[in-house]
Amino acid sequence: MNIPVTPFMWIMAFLPIIVLLVLMIKFNWGATEAAAVGLVITAVTGVAFYKADLKLLAVESAKGIWSALIILIIVWTAILMYQVGDEARAFLVIRNGMRKLLPNELLLVIAMGWIFESFLQGITGFGVPVAVGAPLLIGIGVSPLWAVIIPLFGQAWGNTFGTLAAAWDSLAMSAGLAVGSDAYLRTAFWTALFLLLWNAVTGLAICWFYGKGKALKKGLPAVLVMTVIQGGGELLLSQVNTTLSCFLPSCISLVVILLMGRMKMYKEEWSISDSAIMDRSAKGAGVDEAPSDMTLVQAFVPYFLLSALTLIVLLVKPINAFLGQFSFGLAFPETQTGYGYVNAASDCFSPLALFTHASMFLFISSIVGLIYYRKHRWIKDGGVKRVFVKSVSMTMPSGIAVIGLVIMSKLMSGTGQTVVLANGIATVLGKAYVVLAPFVGLLGTFMTGSNMSSNILFGDFQMTTANLLNVDAAAVLGAQSAGGAIGSAVSPSKIILGTTTANILGREGEVLKKILSITVPATIVIGVIVFVMLAL
Amino acid sequence: MENKGFWGTKAGHLTLAFLVIMAAFVLIMAGLAAGSDVLCAAGFLIIVAAMLYSPVEVYILKKK
Repeated sequence: MNIPVTPFMWIMAFLPIIVLLVLMIKFNWGATEAAAVGLVITAVTGVAFYKADLKLLAVESAKGIWSALIILIIVWTAILMYQVGDEARAFLVIRNGMRKLLPNELLLVIAMGWIFESFLQGITGFGVPVAVGAPLLIGIGVSPLWAVIIPLFGQAWGNTFGTLAAAWDSLAMSAGLAVGSDAYLRTAFWTALFLLLWNAVTGLAICWFYGKGKALKKGLPAVLVMTVIQGGGELLLSQVNTTLSCFLPSCISLVVILLMGRMKMYKEEWSISDSAIMDRSAKGAGVDEAPSDMTLVQAFVPYFLLSALTLIVLLVKPINAFLGQFSFGLAFPETQTGYGYVNAASDCFSPLALFTHASMFLFISSIVGLIYYRKHRWIKDGGVKRVFVKSVSMTMPSGIAVIGLVIMSKLMSGTGQTVVLANGIATVLGKAYVVLAPFVGLLGTFMTGSNMSSNILFGDFQMTTANLLNVDAAAVLGAQSAGGAIGSAVSPSKIILGTTTANILGREGEVLKKILSITVPATIVIGVIVFVMLAL
Repeated sequence: MENKGFWGTKAGHLTLAFLVIMAAFVLIMAGLAAGSDVLCAAGFLIIVAAMLYSPVEVYILKKK
């Protein structure tokens, strides 16, 4: 690669991201609109300063569309599942049932906004916890804006070791860590340690949002127990079995929080009447509309099925191997910029194994749920058509934003802008770079919408930089993946999943602004910890 | 009537933009298969145009 890493080139590479952030945060633009502008700027800088030609832009765009389609089928099936529950009014039953099980409103918000999302992140990921969690929170009376923000926090800690550790495996692969080696286990330890800290921050932040100091005091015991189970459990299991190190603690925490609802300190009704995140005007609406003959277990039928299907297909090796063989991807030729930055040809780019893909589990669960609810007459005549029409209508607007953002990240990567961004930071800062190591991970997830993609994009870079600077690569890689996990809370393509199902499309900037106030300081703290630990 | 209403909404317009992007995607893939840089370039420009529909409508056309 002969791209000059100069301040000018660095600024040009950073320009699309800055514009995207400014449009969304300062001017409150929606992701659909901001992504288009970011995409155009990336293309212009790619051609004008990084010597890319139109064919390279076209090839990277096509790769972006293909990758976005794989994401969008998850979005559609997640929304389909939500619409099935909505049409059958199952969310009202879940809301009423969970209120009875957890009379303490703060504990209810924690359970529905953090613990349940962790469980979903443990098995599915890809934004499903956000898409599914937002309407559930609205169902218990959380205002739509906060119903998007809370699940974004709730799912973030599980992004590295969740989805059965897909992002972790990518980091190990990208950085060349041999499974079970000392470097592998030490990196897993650092990653899980940083995620443990973030896990605690998540719980405390939700309490703070709900009712500042009063809620923090009330919720602290629950947050500590959940953090010990989730973050602590993940830390321990990361040294034994990385595949289950998020999923298992998530399942345990789901059971434990329901048991905590029976404890003396949480079993009485408790709420803060003027909580900033609750929409009291909407509370109680529709209570009488909940089907009286539907039990809480019946309302959860599609979710139980989703969990069972995912576990069976992903964990039973013969089934996984059999279904995983049916995959297809697209072929793309090699492309090269005028600076000699090469994008290798691919015979099968980003293959889609449809039968082991999260969207298949969501689709089957939705259809079985639809048939089940219809059989019990909880879905009335015309309801089936409504479910499908609404699911498509809700998916399409967010589809444009997801496509725009993924193309933008492909163009940045394909023209060499991403590499210049990362190299520039490392060259200028020297060993102080490690403070920014988690930000690189965060940036990767912000751009691609995926902790896994961030690790693939920057894993090797972080490893190389750590070796160049002669610092402990395990800590730097841990910061990379933890930053990437935190970045999943600020990724526009994940935010838009929530704003879509919460029916507040276009308010992504407001969501982002509130989340950044927690994620940026937390990422700085992780960076400083790495710096101090490595300096000692 | 319901169908006509949907295509008149923002969601409907964005659905159209999505379909245009899918068509452009097919155009690029066809261009790659046929070794035609012109088709690839046309596909890319159509994608950009479809992507720009939303900001142009929201922040330029509707503000006038």
